[in-house]
Amino acid sequence: MFQLVADPAMLAETEEQRQLRAVLRDFLAETCGPEEVRRQIDSPRGHDRVLWDRLAAEIGVHGLAVPEEYDGAGYTFAELAVALEETGRVLCPAPLLSTVVLAGHALLAAGDRQACARWLPGIAAGALTATVAGFLQPADVTAERGPDGWVLRGETDFVPDGEDAGLLLVAARAPDGERLFACEPDGATCDRIARKVLDPTRRQACVRLRGQSAEPVGEPGQAAEIVDAVLDVGRVALAAEHVGGSAHALDELLAHLSQRTQFGRAIGSFQAVKHRLADLLVEVEGARSAAAYATACLAGAAPELPVAASAAAVACTGAYRLAATEYVQLHGGIGFTWEHPAHLYVRRARADEALFGTGDDHRRRLAGLLGLTGRTG
Amino acid sequence: MDGIPGLDEFRAEARRWLKGVAPPRSARQEWGSGDDSVAVFENRTEAEEREHTDRTRDWERTRYDQGWGALAWPPEYGGRELPVHYERLYRSEESAFDVPRRTEVFPVTQQLVAPAVRIWGTEEQRRRWLRPMLRTDELACQLFSETEAGSDLAAVRTRAVRDGDGWVLSGHKVWTSGARVATWGVAVCRTDPDVPKHAGITVFLVRMDAPGVTVRPIRQMTGGSSFNEVYLDDVFVPDADRLGPVGQGWRVTLTVLAAERLDSGVLGLDNADRALALARHLPRPLTGGEEQQAADLYVRALVQRLTGLRVTSALAAGREPGAEASVGKLHATATMRATTDLVQQLLGPRLAADTGEWGTYAWTEHLLGAPGYRIAGGSDEIQRNILAERVLGLPKEPKGEGR
Repeated sequence: MFQLVADPAMLAETEEQRQLRAVLRDFLAETCGPEEVRRQIDSPRGHDRVLWDRLAAEIGVHGLAVPEEYDGAGYTFAELAVALEETGRVLCPAPLLSTVVLAGHALLAAGDRQACARWLPGIAAGALTATVAGFLQPADVTAERGPDGWVLRGETDFVPDGEDAGLLLVAARAPDGERLFACEPDGATCDRIARKVLDPTRRQACVRLRGQSAEPVGEPGQAAEIVDAVLDVGRVALAAEHVGGSAHALDELLAHLSQRTQFGRAIGSFQAVKHRLADLLVEVEGARSAAAYATACLAGAAPELPVAASAAAVACTGAYRLAATEYVQLHGGIGFTWEHPAHLYVRRARADEALFGTGDDHRRRLAGLLGLTGRTG
Repeated sequence: MDGIPGLDEFRAEARRWLKGVAPPRSARQEWGSGDDSVAVFENRTEAEEREHTDRTRDWERTRYDQGWGALAWPPEYGGRELPVHYERLYRSEESAFDVPRRTEVFPVTQQLVAPAVRIWGTEEQRRRWLRPMLRTDELACQLFSETEAGSDLAAVRTRAVRDGDGWVLSGHKVWTSGARVATWGVAVCRTDPDVPKHAGITVFLVRMDAPGVTVRPIRQMTGGSSFNEVYLDDVFVPDADRLGPVGQGWRVTLTVLAAERLDSGVLGLDNADRALALARHLPRPLTGGEEQQAADLYVRALVQRLTGLRVTSALAAGREPGAEASVGKLHATATMRATTDLVQQLLGPRLAADTGEWGTYAWTEHLLGAPGYRIAGGSDEIQRNILAERVLGLPKEPKGEGR
């Protein structure tokens, strides 16, 4: 049962994916360097609308995994994962995770063709930002049928990019069971309070719904199933981002340790230092393997997905923790300054673990999924 | 000319052939019965080692003679010239059948020494050695390490001195597995003590039954013996058995070592699976911490397998594998350590004292054997140097006095 049945070819990058990666690497180097990221996170919206539009229109990132019938490019999640690895590498603050990954896949998971037709083309075109609420953390939202249709009441916190999103997909308790609702928040019936956040490249908000009108998506009682599916998609997406962020830290460290001299030698020539970079390489390669497998399972709708997603979460959060820690430490004093980008990676790595679970959370989940629990009977 | 079969076609063909020549591995044994050995290093008497070697050799000959050995080698050496990853595909099919488990001397002969002979050997040597080695009529062991030349292998002191149309070898080699059954030893020797150490080395193939060769088992910390020390006392080696040019032996050695690193990525996986099975079958509920520890081992083993698959996948695509090919050994030793730690936690006192219960005290063989692999085949520290300097390109450590 612990054997791995996988075709090696599923872990290989296609020529098309390689090209996409190269194009995005160049594009983001030009448009989303460290200075640019800081400028974006200090802006009111927290990301650059022009960059968002260009990512959608010129590269087509938003529509990569959206089916063609909803105006997407109809590729698989594997192509989107390539894009997320690259945006994760530079900490691009564009709300791709919330809009394209979480909200986009919530609509697809609900299987509601009408809802998909209404919102997915906007997501694919970059015209609409969206997010999910009540998915990641326990929330208390109820839905009731009013005279003019469904309305939502309650509070849901820690909503990623919740302040700015044009569309909210909310898991709520309705009289006929937990189900998914879509709403375009209205200031009169919905308060959105931006939280002060550890990771400024990925904002969060507390959303208070006060009779916000909404439309049901999918069937009654379907919420749990949608949430589960979306969480696994989110985990795989974060795994790809974490591989990118970790690889960035490794590259920067390599350059720094080769150039910086102390005691008359490049500090990277000291074995105590180089062994740490070797250990980081081992972790990053492991993360890359786990992320590639989880991506392949998601793209191929394999039944191993829950295990693969949690395994990737363990491997990739672990690698990112280590990469961000070493990013600071092996730069010495300069790595501890506000001006150096290292702390942004520490912030991203740690805040992301609060999104879909820490490595230890996922170890517990895996133990349950795999029956690594001893005999309970 | 035959085309290269597709992957699925090849697998199916391999399965068909295996069904005709080998019994299937008996269905997964019930937990709690059967062999509970998890030894990292086999502990066999000389008679047992010879018996096992003979059985394995019979199987290897069957494979070779029927076109399922030497898959990646050209037809002149009895192969089918298939891409290298077909060997891995074949192995995964073979693992479902009950065939003898190859001890280390077999991969050393077929995967480490034979490729080095192909690269460095003369036409005459290739004709003389390759077919017998691939068919395992001849088995080769490594006469590399010495007591004063471990990680710093190029510091070898075993001398080879010209004598007419040959050489006289004298020295002392250690940590040789398979020395009792091998017919040839690949000896890394110093032929010129007056030049910088890497330049004064030459490699020879030594008949293990030559006068002056003495093999003595080393008892390792497990209590058993899997390795040997080999004394070379004025052993005559004809110049025709020198592998590669005089003074170029370090490059020949590196060819062998590189192959060894690539081969180490699957170590420890069977025992990791066994420890996870223990976590499933333990007759009490695991604590939260134990569950996390077990799941962590599962992830390690999965990642190790996947990284191996990435190497296969790169080879299959005709690409040189990148860093993924060099991290395998460190993944493997970490998996082995995590296996020990989990078992320690789950078994408690039954690991430290033998109650006779199935699948408990047997784990001491793993606990005591695993440290060996952190040292063998390039210690973990040397692997980190290789990753840092050759894969990442960090500046080298300044050299000490030994040049």
